[in-house]
Amino acid sequence: MPADTVPADPVRAVYVVDDDPAMRHSLAWLIGALGVPVETFASGEEFLGAVRPDRPGCLVTDVRMPGMSGLELQDTLARAGSLLSVVVITGHADVPMAARAFRAGAVDVIEKPFNDQMLLDRVHEGLEKSVRTWAERARRDRVLALLARLTPRERQVAELVVAGKPNKVIAAEINLSLKTVEVHRHNLMEKLEVASVADLTRLLLEAG
Amino acid sequence: MAAITGGSGVARLARAVGLAAGLAVPTLAGAAAEPPIRVGVLAYRGGDHANAAWEPTVRYLAERFPRRGAEMVPLDLAGMDAAVQAGAIDFVLTNTGNYVELEARHGVTRIATLQSSHAAGSGAAIGSAVVVRADRTDIRTLADLKGRTVMAIDPDAFGGFQVARGAMQRAGVDPYGDLRELRFSGFPVDRVLFAVRDGAVDAGILRACVLEDLAAEGRVEAERLRVLEPRAVPGFACAVSTDLYPDWPLARLASTPEALAKEVAVALFGMPADHPAARAGGYQGWTVPLDYQPVHALFRELRIGPYADLGEVSLLDLARRHWEWLAAAALALLWWAIHSLRVEHLVKVRTAELQAANRVLLHEMAERRRAEETARERQREMDHVARLSILGEMASNLAHELNQPLGAIANYARGCTRRLEAGAADPAQLAEATRAIAAQADRAGEIIARIRDFVRKRASRPEPMDVNESIRAAIALCDGRARQRNIPVVPALDGDLPPVLADRVQIEQVVLNLVKNALDATPDGGAAADAAARAITVRSGRDGDGRVEVTVADRGHGLAPEVRARLFEPFFTTKPGGMGLGLSICRTIVEAHGGRLRATDNPGGGAVMGFVLPAAGPAANEEPHHAR
Repeated sequence: MPADTVPADPVRAVYVVDDDPAMRHSLAWLIGALGVPVETFASGEEFLGAVRPDRPGCLVTDVRMPGMSGLELQDTLARAGSLLSVVVITGHADVPMAARAFRAGAVDVIEKPFNDQMLLDRVHEGLEKSVRTWAERARRDRVLALLARLTPRERQVAELVVAGKPNKVIAAEINLSLKTVEVHRHNLMEKLEVASVADLTRLLLEAG
Repeated sequence: MAAITGGSGVARLARAVGLAAGLAVPTLAGAAAEPPIRVGVLAYRGGDHANAAWEPTVRYLAERFPRRGAEMVPLDLAGMDAAVQAGAIDFVLTNTGNYVELEARHGVTRIATLQSSHAAGSGAAIGSAVVVRADRTDIRTLADLKGRTVMAIDPDAFGGFQVARGAMQRAGVDPYGDLRELRFSGFPVDRVLFAVRDGAVDAGILRACVLEDLAAEGRVEAERLRVLEPRAVPGFACAVSTDLYPDWPLARLASTPEALAKEVAVALFGMPADHPAARAGGYQGWTVPLDYQPVHALFRELRIGPYADLGEVSLLDLARRHWEWLAAAALALLWWAIHSLRVEHLVKVRTAELQAANRVLLHEMAERRRAEETARERQREMDHVARLSILGEMASNLAHELNQPLGAIANYARGCTRRLEAGAADPAQLAEATRAIAAQADRAGEIIARIRDFVRKRASRPEPMDVNESIRAAIALCDGRARQRNIPVVPALDGDLPPVLADRVQIEQVVLNLVKNALDATPDGGAAADAAARAITVRSGRDGDGRVEVTVADRGHGLAPEVRARLFEPFFTTKPGGMGLGLSICRTIVEAHGGRLRATDNPGGGAVMGFVLPAAGPAANEEPHHAR
């Protein structure tokens, strides 16, 4: 399997948080037309207690709610490193509130009454973004896991290989025999499951 | 008739007064020493005749009372009455009829009676002779006098007309009604005899013995005349047609001292029968006073003298005698007539005034009704304006309130459309969505109805109601605003409250006002954590007196003392843009329901606004109801 392939069928969902039952149910029904699973919650607290943080998805939340507000919920999720995209819905949008939402990574701030197409586009967009993020993170996690297999000497050799240095030079730089360098190089290529220097270079770049 | 009587009466009075004035002079002159005894003498034939007949008798008395002396006061009938009434004389010497009258009217008392020379055995000497010509065989009895012409001397003469009248009436002839003519000749007495003798009249009435005396003097021929129904009276020498009555008495006035009266009586009794005074008076001395009751009987019968006759002449006399009373009666009648007219006029005037007052009153009542109606209308307007103003202040909440169901409907509908277009419609799911649409449409309708109901101009309509319903409705109206401000409004309602007699919308208005004020008093705070600390609690329950109590407690800035003092005043406000009508109208509403609105501090910060309402039913009567 190539290192850059996205995992097939990531589990994804849309989450609706609104204290007004009619509003959250109707939103769920409308968003459900996209063909994605939609889950509803009456408050931010309820949502935080139930959601799986490692899954991609899109949160649609009202701002004004008794208890935790939509913006507070967004902050909490962000601090927890959530994968979820956030679409904020509000009856009365004002500039400071919108700025705060966007700073915290909101996909959009939508004012009621809204155009359903726009909402669905934003939710779709949010889902894509979340899945993308989820995929990137999954890839990186995999690279890091591969790299973790290497010994410190192998990791040192890998970095010098990527730097484009021949084995002879590498052996001289780190005071090893040519033979030893060649063994390390072979092992690390195997451990990182790469066949070429080009693949190795791309993988290490992904790992940062 | 009254005028005629009055005229004659005045003439008679003038004479009486003249006499009294004349009498006053000697009274005053003799005032220094003991005044002479004054004897009033009836001068029925004028002063000269009286002097001749009675002066000697008075002089006899003067001789017997040398220190005082005595004087004679000649008086006619009217003058006699006036002198007795005035007390201008001490004694009265008068005829039998006049005496009875004076006795009845002025209380004079006889002390001696004349002993007449003609007196019968009883001492009585006064009677009447009805005389006709001897050849008048057609007149035999007194009854035959009916339809004849009769002449007498004087209607006031006792021994003469009055006694004869009594006898005639007993015989069935009323001299005033049954005769052809009744004439009075006046003195001298012989005129009557001449008229009878000459056939000028059918009969004549004389005092008994006059006929015999004149015959003795040779002035008439006795045989040519005849006395009707002559009676035989023992000891009485003259022909008489009637009963006999006592002769003239001497009487003392009620004011005359008794001792003097006794001395005078004794002096008179001592007069010899042949004394010159007796001869001059034609009598034979004085005797003890006789019984005058028969005279009273006669007068009663004739209804004359003190027994007021109803006959024409006597009535006139009576009227003359009592003209003052008649005048007084006439005056009284006049006064009564004027009074009646005046009363009638006053009644008319008063009725008119009352009617006018009535009209004014009706007008005023209509005015007052109009004014009250206007005041009620104004109060309704104020209520209405206050509700509009609350609603205006909460317009954004209401928009939010309506946006919720409308937004939900839009979401459901579009979700349906998308599924149908994608051909991915599950009929069961679609049905559920459309049911939800209908439910949300209902919800929106309810909100609109609530607002319309709240804002509509309407008269107060109290009915038994659950105060909790109004509280819930009020909270629903301001729930959006509360959520927006992130201020929880927490109801704490007693589910077991008695109903109150109240207007649902007005109570809702009061609660909404109080909750809205609480929201306005609560500061904004962003953090979710302190929301509970800013909660507004709306509580219902019962107070100590069993009344229903509603309180709204906030954690706001509380009430400054100067604000609290003016809290319920109209147009007092602490809010920019506020009208200051809310609490003033709340108080009007609560008090109109027999309750009270109050404000207190919330322990631990903020204010508690609340009101009590009397429970409906029997308990409601204990609280005075101040409804307009």
